[in-house]
Amino acid sequence: MTAIISVRDLRKTFRVLVRRPGLGGSIANLFAPHYRSVQAVEGVSFSLQAGELVGYLGPNGAGKSTTIKVLTGLLVPTGGEVRVDGQVPWEKRERYVKGIGVVFGNRPTLWWDLPVIDSLELLQPMYDIPAERFRYNLVEFKRMLELDEFINTPVRSLSLGQRMRADLCAALLHEPKLLFLDEPTIGLDVVAKEQIRRFVLDINHRRGVTVLLTTHDLTDVERLCERVMILDHGKLLYDGTLAALNGRFESAWTLKVDFEEEYPDVSVAGLPAPQRVGRQALYLFNHRELNTAELVQQLMARFQVVDLEVRRPPLEETIRRIYAEQLLTK
Amino acid sequence: MLRNLGMYFRLVGCDLRSQMTFRLSFWIDLFSTMAVNASMFASLYLVLERFGNIGGWGLGELAFLYGLAETSFGLMDMIFSGFDYDYFSTLVREGRLDQILLRPVPPAVQVMGHRFVLRRVGRILQGAAVLILSFFLVDMFWTPLKVAFLPVVLASQVVAMGALFIAGSTLTIWTIQRVEAINILTYGGVELMSYPASIYPRALRAIFTYILPFFFLSYYPALFFLDKTDPLGLPVWPPFLAPMVAGGMLWLALRFWKFGLKHYQSTGS
Repeated sequence: MTAIISVRDLRKTFRVLVRRPGLGGSIANLFAPHYRSVQAVEGVSFSLQAGELVGYLGPNGAGKSTTIKVLTGLLVPTGGEVRVDGQVPWEKRERYVKGIGVVFGNRPTLWWDLPVIDSLELLQPMYDIPAERFRYNLVEFKRMLELDEFINTPVRSLSLGQRMRADLCAALLHEPKLLFLDEPTIGLDVVAKEQIRRFVLDINHRRGVTVLLTTHDLTDVERLCERVMILDHGKLLYDGTLAALNGRFESAWTLKVDFEEEYPDVSVAGLPAPQRVGRQALYLFNHRELNTAELVQQLMARFQVVDLEVRRPPLEETIRRIYAEQLLTK
Repeated sequence: MLRNLGMYFRLVGCDLRSQMTFRLSFWIDLFSTMAVNASMFASLYLVLERFGNIGGWGLGELAFLYGLAETSFGLMDMIFSGFDYDYFSTLVREGRLDQILLRPVPPAVQVMGHRFVLRRVGRILQGAAVLILSFFLVDMFWTPLKVAFLPVVLASQVVAMGALFIAGSTLTIWTIQRVEAINILTYGGVELMSYPASIYPRALRAIFTYILPFFFLSYYPALFFLDKTDPLGLPVWPPFLAPMVAGGMLWLALRFWKFGLKHYQSTGS
């Protein structure tokens, strides 16, 4: 199978004007501007197969948006090779963008003063969408994203969640093979987030759209992505399945046990002493060394157990540890 | 090309519809621009009352230059208002240029279609009124060539000033903020075209003839329309260079625009 996106040794360096303070400074800036180089992306390589749904993670300033902007043809990279569906995004941009859909969570993509429906209808001639396909897609997306309640409202009056739903619809009406989502759930409430996740999953499964998603919300990742790529300081730190990532880096799991009575000693050999509150005890254990079933069996053999609860650390914590302890730094 | 034109009219149509939702402000703007411009022409009239002529040009002749420049500036400001620096630099700052670049239609077409400021009609009507008045004041001797050439000169002025708008907006891709220096070029250019070249010192005349060829767009064509001879005794063809000059300026501006978009760095998020 050939890759739909292939990125080799992508680099992007920005020249940033160093502003000097005061009047003298601004005059100096005008005549002898002083630039500083900022390396946003330093040699990133990866490829995506058609139909994948991949999470692209990293702290602010890691270079995620820069990568997305290169892949969508907005930025010309400083170095490296990029092929998306056989094309170089920034070369024939007007032709290239016909085959992709893009949603930026932090900026609207539709016409600000137009009612949603007018905005969407402008896209038909713009992308040369056959009228029949356009109608069909519009009906389907309207239903899935529940657009009817605000379809006649100007975009500027929409709530953030409504706007995001309209933007998603707009990004997909021309049936792109690829969808780039940059922080699609930023600032949304739980219900709106869930609706958007369901929609993204659906178009990935049913329409086979390849999706590259950046997000800070790791629930998005857990719900949507099998594969994640982690970027930090412009370098790719991890590229693999979410399961493998958890397997390698997850911190201790927690087992909460309610006992029938207050036993004097409930400690388990090989584990740190549990925290105890009355008849309850909290065990921290490394799931890579001891699996949950074994631990539970040991406890049940020795004590009368009333209730059990296993807690995995949230993905947030795993990711935070990876950054903080630099677990992936090569 | 045809497709782009269709897209352009569609976009303009949308923009006009949203402008119509603010109908009161439309009329207020229309009348205030008319008032401002009328007072400008009135002050010109007062100056002439006192001095009789400027550089050998009487009121009617000056009205011709002024009316022509005002009409074409108004038209340009209406058609090219997407490239108005204040507006365009906002598009860049707010990251809305990204959205434009993500659509499969040439960005220049989209920027122009983004904004079509109908209320410039005030300035256009008023410029046209002065221009028509000037025909009577100078008792214009019309020939078929003059009748045919007048719209060409108007269009050339519109295109040339539009080219400056495009070039100036392109600069804001780098500076993000608007650049005052560019205002001097465009707004200064209109002022310049409103007066005869003969009143300016030699150095300025040279600059605006050969480097920024504004005089080919107003002064020389005006000599032809008004049957005046150039004090410097130029040959007969300079008045007819206007469309070539305008086309050249637009071509250069669009090259610069393409270059600017290649170097666009987008705003961080």
